[in-house]
Amino acid sequence: MNIIEVKNLRFSYRNGEEILKGIDLTFNSKSTAIIGQNGAGKTTFVKLLKGLLKPTEGDIFIKGKNTTEVTVAKLAKEVGMVFQNPNDQIFKSKVIDEVMFGPLNIGQGMEEAKGNSLKALELMELSDKVDENPYDLSLSERKLITIASILAMDTDIVILDEPTISQDYFGKIKIKNIVKELAARGKLLITITHDMDFVAEISERVIVLNKGEVILDGSAEEVFLRDDILKSAYLEQPNITQLCKRLGYDRTFLALEEFVDYRLAGN
Amino acid sequence: MAKTLSLYVERNTFIHRVDSINKILYVLVSVAIPLILPYKFVAVLLILISISFLLLAKVMRRVIPLIEFSVIILLSIVIIQGLFHAGNKTVAFHIARITFYKEGLSYAFTLSMRVINILLAFAILVLTTKPSELIEALVKKGLSPRFGYVLSSALQIIPQMMSAVGSIMDAQRSRGLETEGNLAVRIRAFFPLIGPVVMGSLIETRERAMALEVRAFNSREKKTFLNERQNLRSDNVIRLILFSILSLSIVLRVLL
Amino acid sequence: MKKVVVENLKYRYPLSENLALKGISFEVEGGEFIGIIGRNLAGKSTLCQALVGLVPHFYKGAYSGNVEISGMNVLENNISELSKKIGIVFQNPFTQITAAKLTVYEEIAFGLENMGIEIKEMIRRIEYVLHLLDLEKYKDRNPFELSGGQMQRLAIASIIAMKPEIIVLDEPTSQLDPQGSEEVFKAIQSLSREGITIMMVEQKIEKIAQYADRVMLMSDGEVVDFDVPQKIFLRDDLLNYGVQAPVFTRVCRSLNIKNKNTGLYPVTLNEAYELMVRHEHNRS
Repeated sequence: MNIIEVKNLRFSYRNGEEILKGIDLTFNSKSTAIIGQNGAGKTTFVKLLKGLLKPTEGDIFIKGKNTTEVTVAKLAKEVGMVFQNPNDQIFKSKVIDEVMFGPLNIGQGMEEAKGNSLKALELMELSDKVDENPYDLSLSERKLITIASILAMDTDIVILDEPTISQDYFGKIKIKNIVKELAARGKLLITITHDMDFVAEISERVIVLNKGEVILDGSAEEVFLRDDILKSAYLEQPNITQLCKRLGYDRTFLALEEFVDYRLAGN
Repeated sequence: MAKTLSLYVERNTFIHRVDSINKILYVLVSVAIPLILPYKFVAVLLILISISFLLLAKVMRRVIPLIEFSVIILLSIVIIQGLFHAGNKTVAFHIARITFYKEGLSYAFTLSMRVINILLAFAILVLTTKPSELIEALVKKGLSPRFGYVLSSALQIIPQMMSAVGSIMDAQRSRGLETEGNLAVRIRAFFPLIGPVVMGSLIETRERAMALEVRAFNSREKKTFLNERQNLRSDNVIRLILFSILSLSIVLRVLL
Repeated sequence: MKKVVVENLKYRYPLSENLALKGISFEVEGGEFIGIIGRNLAGKSTLCQALVGLVPHFYKGAYSGNVEISGMNVLENNISELSKKIGIVFQNPFTQITAAKLTVYEEIAFGLENMGIEIKEMIRRIEYVLHLLDLEKYKDRNPFELSGGQMQRLAIASIIAMKPEIIVLDEPTSQLDPQGSEEVFKAIQSLSREGITIMMVEQKIEKIAQYADRVMLMSDGEVVDFDVPQKIFLRDDLLNYGVQAPVFTRVCRSLNIKNKNTGLYPVTLNEAYELMVRHEHNRS
């Protein structure tokens, strides 16, 4: 069974403007990035996946359940989403309590919730900050806390909305670790991001949204090859891909090592 | 919610062009005169004047719902006073076996006229004046610019805060917080919202305070204003008229 | 004249045990474009705040050392006075809108009204920055209706209208989409061409390499290095400081392709392309 099925999805807000214009997609467990400029419908789309919005037309099935038939809170057992602004959700005075909030809500027992939360915080390298007040930490650390609080819920689907904003090099490494961890656990990860280099490094599948429609859907290699289409969506290729294109190679390179090896092999 | 809190109706009439300060003075004078000259016809006269201004300003239609609403309330006051007012002696009329008295009706009538008078005068102010212009006029006359800023920014920030609550709700629902259901569930759902709303506001306020600082908000220079409204002769004339009417009523009160 | 002179600047936030800035010294010439890089919490934002006087006047805390902006001493002048010489643009476009004005045009006027600029001059400056930052078609819009990129351009316009000689930008594109980022970088480039001194904190290292005349590497409250991009990105200890050299530099380094004359690796796409093509040529 496909984990997520989107059938002929259309969505408009009450004021009438149609944001999503007929989306058909299925997701299994490949790490997927959704890219597109602001206003293309990415955030609206994931809100629909979370059940926060209901389709105007069409259906979304999360593990066979239609999103219109379940409350958002119940869907939270299957789909976890990390919002862009950590300040929008943090309200507990201890990091550990904050991370345990989600797991407890969806039915994990005290012991289980604590265990999952501590594991998630360890992954974020925040084990030493467990009893601190989240607001005493930096913005980037608070971002990691919100990611931990979703990981601790151990949902089969995880959505990250702009995880690399305000992260430095070390922060991005932590996020790449999460991606690996989720892949190891067989989870479906959907990432919304503007960081093309990051997409190239972590995504097996890339979906490009433009003006409410899917204009590209394929592996990262396939999608980043089409720089003409990317340009129409105001997107760029990852830096390494741009260099290789400029040098006249006709295949796409997504990673530095890949390109270096190819060159050193005499090409 | 609308993007800015304002009842202003965009029109291009003489009333709209009148200086905001004069409109405030008009409200003050309209409220004061029926108190100085407590004759029934004075209040009615002022009501008619306000109505004609509202018609001139082409905003009368907006006022009608307000009047309808107040009439309902005032009617109940009239009935209650007509029946139970303390000094009721003289019978006015009967309905079935219920007696209405002149004193009560008279009292209620005067009260109602005063209330409607105030409402209409305020309506002129609120419907024909841009809040930003009003606040700027007050700042020019000496209101603290800080306070003026707090007022003008509140008009846009409050609606923004309301939509922020929506985002915060979404974030907490996404973590399994149940918000749909019976009253108890919905009340409990309220608590995880308070922290983020308050913290969010505090953080934003602080960031905005810094942005204001670097835009020279606390500069000791005398401020200038982009919208320099010329002191029109008509502004002064109107002010003169208002003060004259006020003085006249005081004189009449003393004489009569 | 040196636009920015910093001498042994030390600073500790109130309620904090550690120094955020541990003795910083450097100078910046007029018209330079300085990129500031380093991991989170290295002190980059604190330094920005110290340049415009938010440190120490807004944040209070413990302060020592000397910062001169176009000859004005930061400690001796308040933020409003300093804003005549130096301006700052922050990360969040949204909180830089005053919310007290209903149009983009009036929003830009806000700072000028505070400075007591007379109306004709105000109008002249507003029209100038609307044009410079490509905001003319939005001049009657409500600032809250703009996109992130447009809002940031408005923030920049509002600051530039005050005619500072120096503008500090603290990760101005981190919350913007690629189009918005591009708009902002283009705008900053026009400012630089006008002769304004730019000091910009950025994580997008390829952009810094593209635009900066000199790059300041910060770590743990100190300036580790301050040099031209090619020299900074030549360092092999960058990862320790939480910085990755531009991918173009890393590629050439891995392939051992460098500029024969200077011994430096390229830092931008164009430089890498040129060098690699020449290398290709030599290979065959």
